[in-house]
Amino acid sequence: MKLLEFEAKQILAGAHIAVPVSTVIRKGDHPSLQTPLVLKSQVPTGGRGKAGGIKVVEQESDIDSTINNLFQLSIKGFTPAVILAEEKLNIKNEYYLSLLIDKPTAEIRLVANKNGGVEVEDNGPATFLNTEIHKNNFEAVGQQLADQFDLQSQAFALQDLVEKLYTCFVSNDATLLEINPLILTTDNEFVAGDCKMELDDNAAFRHNWNFEEKPAEVNFVTLDENGTVATIANGAGLAMATVDAVAERGMSPANFLDIGGGANTETVLAAFKRIVEYPYVKAIVINIFAGITRCDEVAKAIIAAEKQITSLPPLFIRLSGTNFDEAKILLDGADIPLLGTLEDCLQAAKQVAL
Amino acid sequence: MSPELFKATNVIVQGITGSHGRFQTKAMLTAGTTIIAGTSPGKAGEVVEGVPVYATIANIQKDHTVDISVIFVPAPFAKDAILEAITAEVPLIICITEGIPIHDMLQIKQHLKNSKSTLVGPNSPGVMIPGGNKLGIIPANMSLAGHTAVVSRSGTLTYEVMAGLSGRGIGQAYVIGIGGDQIRGTSFVECFKLFENDPHVDQIIIIGEIGGTDELALADYIKTSVSKPIFGYIAGKYAPTGVQLGHAGAILGSSDESAAHKKEALTRAGASMYDSVTALVQGVTDTVHP
Repeated sequence: MKLLEFEAKQILAGAHIAVPVSTVIRKGDHPSLQTPLVLKSQVPTGGRGKAGGIKVVEQESDIDSTINNLFQLSIKGFTPAVILAEEKLNIKNEYYLSLLIDKPTAEIRLVANKNGGVEVEDNGPATFLNTEIHKNNFEAVGQQLADQFDLQSQAFALQDLVEKLYTCFVSNDATLLEINPLILTTDNEFVAGDCKMELDDNAAFRHNWNFEEKPAEVNFVTLDENGTVATIANGAGLAMATVDAVAERGMSPANFLDIGGGANTETVLAAFKRIVEYPYVKAIVINIFAGITRCDEVAKAIIAAEKQITSLPPLFIRLSGTNFDEAKILLDGADIPLLGTLEDCLQAAKQVAL
Repeated sequence: MSPELFKATNVIVQGITGSHGRFQTKAMLTAGTTIIAGTSPGKAGEVVEGVPVYATIANIQKDHTVDISVIFVPAPFAKDAILEAITAEVPLIICITEGIPIHDMLQIKQHLKNSKSTLVGPNSPGVMIPGGNKLGIIPANMSLAGHTAVVSRSGTLTYEVMAGLSGRGIGQAYVIGIGGDQIRGTSFVECFKLFENDPHVDQIIIIGEIGGTDELALADYIKTSVSKPIFGYIAGKYAPTGVQLGHAGAILGSSDESAAHKKEALTRAGASMYDSVTALVQGVTDTVHP
C-alpha cells in the first residue's frame, strides 16, 4: 500500500522524526494559516512539483485561491482529496535518504546521497551510500552517513536519525521509506521535506491502518479496455500463462485476473461482474487448475453468473484438479459445457473473438 | 539439499486442525505419505484423519523423530510456526501458507542462516515425489513417476506442466514449487543442484515468472554447473509491470526482470525456452519420445 505524503509524515512524526509544522486541508475546510507557507497537492504519483502541484504562498490574501486551484488541478489523472499546508523551512542543504528491502539478500538497506531533490537520479551510481542496516549497526551507519553528507559534526544526530528510521521502518511493516529531500535547516536540524512510504498489505492484520488509498486490488488488472478476450484463472502464474496464451494466439486479452487460492463463489461472481463492463469482450476464457481452490466452488459461481448476468459473453471453460468431478456434475446439470484443455478453449474462443 | 531429505518418512503437519490443514492431510495420507502427527496449539489430544494432534513439535519429538514438516498455519501465525520448526531442527520445512508479511520473512531468513533446516516456500504448493512423498497440495492424481524434475514459482502452473507431462507418458522424479513470494527459503539454484546430483533425474524443467532475479541467478549457475538438458517457460510476457514509487529502485539500478530478458538469459545459458505451457510440454515430449 502506497501512502500519501501527509500520511507518511504522520507516521514519521509518531516515530519522533522531525517533519514540518503542517495542517491537513480537505475540501470545505477553512483553516487559519500563516504565510509564508507551502501548499502541496496530495496525489498518489510522482512528478507533482513539475506539474504545478506544489505552491509557495507569500501573501495571506493568496491562500484561499491557491488552495482552490490545487483542488482543481489534475496531476497524471489524479485530483487531490487533501492539500497539505506546511511551514516554509529555511534550507541550508538537501540530502537523499531511503530505507528499502533488498529481496535477493533479504536485507534492509539504507541508500543515501549528499545531493537530494528531484534530480537525485542524476547522481552517478558510485556516489550513493548503499549499505545494510540492522539493529546492531546504527553507530557505524550513522558515521557512514556523516561521511556521505560531509557533515562530521552531525554524526551523532545522524546516528539518532538512522536508529529512529530503522525502528519506524520495521515497526510499521514498511517496504519503502524514502525521504527526499532530507532538509538540513539553517538551525542545523534534519527535517523530512517529502516522504514516500509503502507498507506491506500482508501485515495489515497487526496494524490499525486507515489511509486514503485503499489496498490495491492487485489480483485484477486491466490490460486493454478494448480487449476482446477476458480471462479468469487461479494463481498468479497460471493467470499470466493464460494471458500469454491468449496473446500468442493473436487475440487481445482485456484483463489479468487471479482469483487466488481458496476462491469462493462470491469472489468469482464479483470477477464476472467486472469483466462484463469491458465494451468489446466477446469471449471469457476460464482456466482453473485447482489445488487449494475447489472446482465445485468455481462451477457454482459460473452457474450463478449465467443466471444473474444478462448479456454474458460465451464462456470457454477448462477446469482441472480438486473436486473436478463434483464441478462436472453441477455444470452438466446446468447445460454448461467444459473443454479439455486451455488449447481447446483458445481454439474455440478464436471463432468469436478474432 | 539431498534426495534423502525428500524421501524421509516421518512427516508432520503444523496447523492440522484448520480447514486447509485437515483437507490436505487427508489428501496426503491418501497419496501414501506417512503423517505421524500434527500440531495445533490448544487442540492437543484431538485426532485428525487418524493422525494424533500435539500442542508443539517438541512434544512430538518426545515420541518420534520428525523429518519433515508441512505448514498450513494462517499467515499471522506462520512466522512463529516456521521458527518453531527451525528451533526443533526439523530437516525439511515446507510452508504452504500465503501472505506472510515480508518483515517476518526477513527474520526467518536470519534464523535459517545458521540452522539445520531447509525451508521450501512460503506461498508454495509444496513438493511431490511421484511414487513417494506428497508434501503439500500438488494434486497426486496428475503425477506420474519418472525421470523429469520440475521446479516452479507458481503452484497452478506446476500442476499444469505436471499434468501435461503425465498425459504424454513423461514421468517426474521431483515436482517442487519454491513459492511465489520474493523472499523465500529455497531458490531455483539449490533445486538445480539437487537435480544435477541425483542420478534419477534425466532432464529438468523450470517455470519462472516476471519479477525478481532468481531466474537470472539460475542462468549464471547453469552455464558452469548443470550438464542435464533444461526446458523452460517464463510466464508474464504480456503481464502489466508495477508502477514504482520513489527513486530507490532506479538508484539501485534494478536489473531487467521482464519475461523476455529472463528467457534470453536462460536461452544463452543453454536452456530450451518456450512461449507457452503447451509449447513447453510439446518440446519436452519431442525430445524424450522423438
